[in-house]
Amino acid sequence: MKNILLPILAAFAIPVSVLAISAEDVVRKLEKNTVIKTAWTDGCLLIHDRFGTKKTTFISYSRGADTMLIEFTSVEEEGMKILRTSNEIYLFYPDAEELIRMQGAALKESVLGSDMSYEDMTGDKSLLTSYRATLEGIEEVDGAACYKVNLEAKSSDVPYYREIMWIDKELFIYRQIHKFSRSGKLLKEISINNIRQVSGKNIPFHMVLKDTLKRNSSTEFFINDIKINLHLDPDIFSLEELTW
Amino acid sequence: MGLAIFIFIDSWLLGAQRESERNLIWYETSSARVLNQQYWEEKDQLPLKYVIENPEAVTDRLQELNIPAAPRIVFGGELIVRENPFEQDGSLPVKIFAIDPEKDNRVFRFNETIKEGRSLKSGEENILMGAWMAEDLGAEIGYPLTILTTTRDGYIQTIDVKIVGIINCPNPVINRSSIFLPLDIADRYLEMHGAITEINLKLPERADADLMASSIEKELGTDFPGLEILSWKTLAGDFVALAGMKQSATRMILFLVFIIVAVGVSNTMLMAIYERFRELGMMRALGMKDSQIRLAFLFESGGIGLIGSVLGILLGTILCFWIINRGIDLTFMSRNMDIGYRIAGISRGAWHPEALVYAFFFGIILSVAVTFFPTRRALKMTITDCLRYQ
Amino acid sequence: MKLATIAARNIMRNKRRSILSITAIAMATMSIVFLFSFLEGMKNDLACNLQTYYTGEIRVRNNNYGKYEYLTPLHLRIEAYEDVLKIIERNNSVKTLSPRIRFPAGIYRNGEIYRALGMGVDFQREKSYQDIESRIIKGRLPETGKKETLLGADLAREIGVTTGDKITILATTMRRGSNAVTLRITGIASFPVESFNKKYLLIPLDRVQKLLRMDGSVTEIIMKLKKGSSSMVSEQLNTALRAAGREELEIKSWKKIPSSYSFIETASSMYNFIALFFFILASSVIINTTMMVIHERRREIGTIGAMGMTGGEIIRLFFIETVFLSTAGSLIGVILGIGVTVPLSITGIHFGKAMEGFSMEISNSIYPALNLKSTALVFVYSVCMASLATLLPSIKAARVKPVEALRNE
Repeated sequence: MKNILLPILAAFAIPVSVLAISAEDVVRKLEKNTVIKTAWTDGCLLIHDRFGTKKTTFISYSRGADTMLIEFTSVEEEGMKILRTSNEIYLFYPDAEELIRMQGAALKESVLGSDMSYEDMTGDKSLLTSYRATLEGIEEVDGAACYKVNLEAKSSDVPYYREIMWIDKELFIYRQIHKFSRSGKLLKEISINNIRQVSGKNIPFHMVLKDTLKRNSSTEFFINDIKINLHLDPDIFSLEELTW
Repeated sequence: MGLAIFIFIDSWLLGAQRESERNLIWYETSSARVLNQQYWEEKDQLPLKYVIENPEAVTDRLQELNIPAAPRIVFGGELIVRENPFEQDGSLPVKIFAIDPEKDNRVFRFNETIKEGRSLKSGEENILMGAWMAEDLGAEIGYPLTILTTTRDGYIQTIDVKIVGIINCPNPVINRSSIFLPLDIADRYLEMHGAITEINLKLPERADADLMASSIEKELGTDFPGLEILSWKTLAGDFVALAGMKQSATRMILFLVFIIVAVGVSNTMLMAIYERFRELGMMRALGMKDSQIRLAFLFESGGIGLIGSVLGILLGTILCFWIINRGIDLTFMSRNMDIGYRIAGISRGAWHPEALVYAFFFGIILSVAVTFFPTRRALKMTITDCLRYQ
Repeated sequence: MKLATIAARNIMRNKRRSILSITAIAMATMSIVFLFSFLEGMKNDLACNLQTYYTGEIRVRNNNYGKYEYLTPLHLRIEAYEDVLKIIERNNSVKTLSPRIRFPAGIYRNGEIYRALGMGVDFQREKSYQDIESRIIKGRLPETGKKETLLGADLAREIGVTTGDKITILATTMRRGSNAVTLRITGIASFPVESFNKKYLLIPLDRVQKLLRMDGSVTEIIMKLKKGSSSMVSEQLNTALRAAGREELEIKSWKKIPSSYSFIETASSMYNFIALFFFILASSVIINTTMMVIHERRREIGTIGAMGMTGGEIIRLFFIETVFLSTAGSLIGVILGIGVTVPLSITGIHFGKAMEGFSMEISNSIYPALNLKSTALVFVYSVCMASLATLLPSIKAARVKPVEALRNE
């Protein structure tokens, strides 16, 4: 990618200092765009690993950036649900008579064997409260010009010390995210494809997540259908509801 | 002769137990450990939360008390290996010991067990790996791998390292699931800011660890509150339980040996005595008093017993020397065993002076005792019967 | 006059001395007999445990399972396992079968997840396979189809549960999804093998299949054979399964399974080592005694020599004497040894708590096994040993001139 970007950057020749926008602004605009009040999604996961590919389908309800209920509909996961609230994750299984709360070290486990961990699903605060943002210029991702924003943790409540986000200049949605360990090793790569507009918001309909420490392994996220800003009964996100 | 064997065996068996103790102490737990008071409860999680903030001050203080101390950070993580050069892609949960390459040798003995490669040096991003783990992974010197863990603050962290040495130490637990890293590297990557999770102490070999641990704790208590010192007995609970069992098995074996030896000794003495009945009769005929005779014989047998014991001890000691220093190579046996009893490789004896003393006295006493009864009998017989004795 | 008679008379004459010799030999012999039985018992025990709890005498598994074993690849399984069971049962040498699914299970309790191992078993079959009912110390066996489980005693203690409690376990399904189920603990068992007590939960097979979403499959089938079965059984089964088209399965006799057999081998070598050691010890006692006797009777030898016995005759005389003595001694020793071993073989020697740290598969109690063959061997050995031991000193003594011998005190 670099060999393409460099000449392009040179062509654009936009030095960072000339940019009228600040890193914080970019992030704020990003969050304004991507955080949705309520949403109903019909989607599926494709999990690729050394033994093959597995498909899982689900329906999810979400509210804001921190609350989400996922109900799995594929046969293999039948009846399993995951509830995510501010900083907790609960798992429901039909044959279990209690909810399983994932916390501590258990959060680092991967969800359904995918490249995503339970920890990756957590995180409620705005990026700016946990990270310091700096703008590193403009780079092209998938033919679209993006702000390259470097995020460095300033509080210790996030798992990834450093993240780099490529945020689309026009749409203010991320096209690519890289997450790093404290010593700077690339741990996760997320790329967004197929961005469509739904009710005025830009939604990624296809996302690819890679755990770079695992080879030959990736997870794809597809949205089949999505409805946003609909009325959702707040009880959906309660623990009681989860046990139904 | 019998005594020699008794001593030898006793020494060997005790040696096995001591060896195991020693393995434990030398390689795994150290004689005692200084920990943050809250650490022990959650020790299974290997928490970086409960640390010792000012290790230098504590080690200096311990130095004043003449106790060698080695600081360490112990943490958990995952080892991530790649197909090239390892056999397959994989990840393995490991326990990582970050040691100070200079200070660690004051307390532990790892340097002696490096099988391949070399020891760690501060500042290098290298690790030592246990031999059995290396074998399982197909690892060799120079292979790179990644350690996945979390910093003290909770950030996901990776450390890229190379294997610089392989350790084959007699402690199977170490061989199987541990790796070693220089302390300063761990401090940097885990963002410990100088804090460590434990300080390991070396106490004199035969000292009562529990007693010393609590007295040291009191000493440190005033200046360094919030710390506690645990002796190796607490640190390795399962070992203590096992030692109990080994005791009974050992005792049984010793008992059997004892019987055999006792029989041998008394046999010899008895025969010697009966041989001399006629002599005894003669002495009586010549007019010696009974008590004098008895004393004479007892002394004599005591003397023989003494000489025998001394010889036995000498012989036993020589044999002990051999087994303590050279040992018997049992490596071929212990590879696959997962006995909680930490023995691998060479089985050594250990000095057991008490046993020597017991055996010594026992030899003498037995000789004397065995002489006593026949002597009495002889003295009861008529002189002529004695003389006629065949 | 026959030497034998002289020998006999000699023995009777000096009863005390003879008794001493006999005692020494007897004690030595007895110890060895006992020791051997004990070691044999340990070996048997080890083999038995390995077979019952881990490998069976023969094990059937998917060909590729072993390659990825450390990942517990559930998908490398035995499908339609009941068909396979039927095929195996047709072979007359098979005594009992145990189809099983092994999987890593996380026990969720008080917000923490404890790592344990789950095993799906057919409890009806386990009754005969491992006499599981006798292991129960509390409660009862779980019933097929129900959400029930049987826990190892130490595991129960560690998590702090007892019969009647419910626990939820998490597991990764065959297709690498995840699932959980809540089970009621109906029983707690104490297994002779510590690692079972500490790590295992036994759950009805069909329940596990549901949990892991692998209907009709198991990860392994292990079996015990009838006594005296030929070593060809695994071959026979192999052929039978191939004929039925089940080429993805591999049959292994427990001896060929590396981890288990090496256990036995290492154990055996260790035992042999100990046995050898004792042998040497006991032998030295026997030799010692005999030599002393000869030495002590030098004058006697001299006397007889002076009376006209030839050197050869003297040697033979003493030899015979020793044979008599050692036979008597060994016999007594062996009888004593048996006397000690047999009752112990019934009650067993209990090591109890001490075995806790061991993760070598030895039970808490060991039953010494009397091996007639080795006992007989020990007997013969003692006799030979003692007899041979007389040879050297008696030869030496016989050579000495009678005059010298007589003069010696």
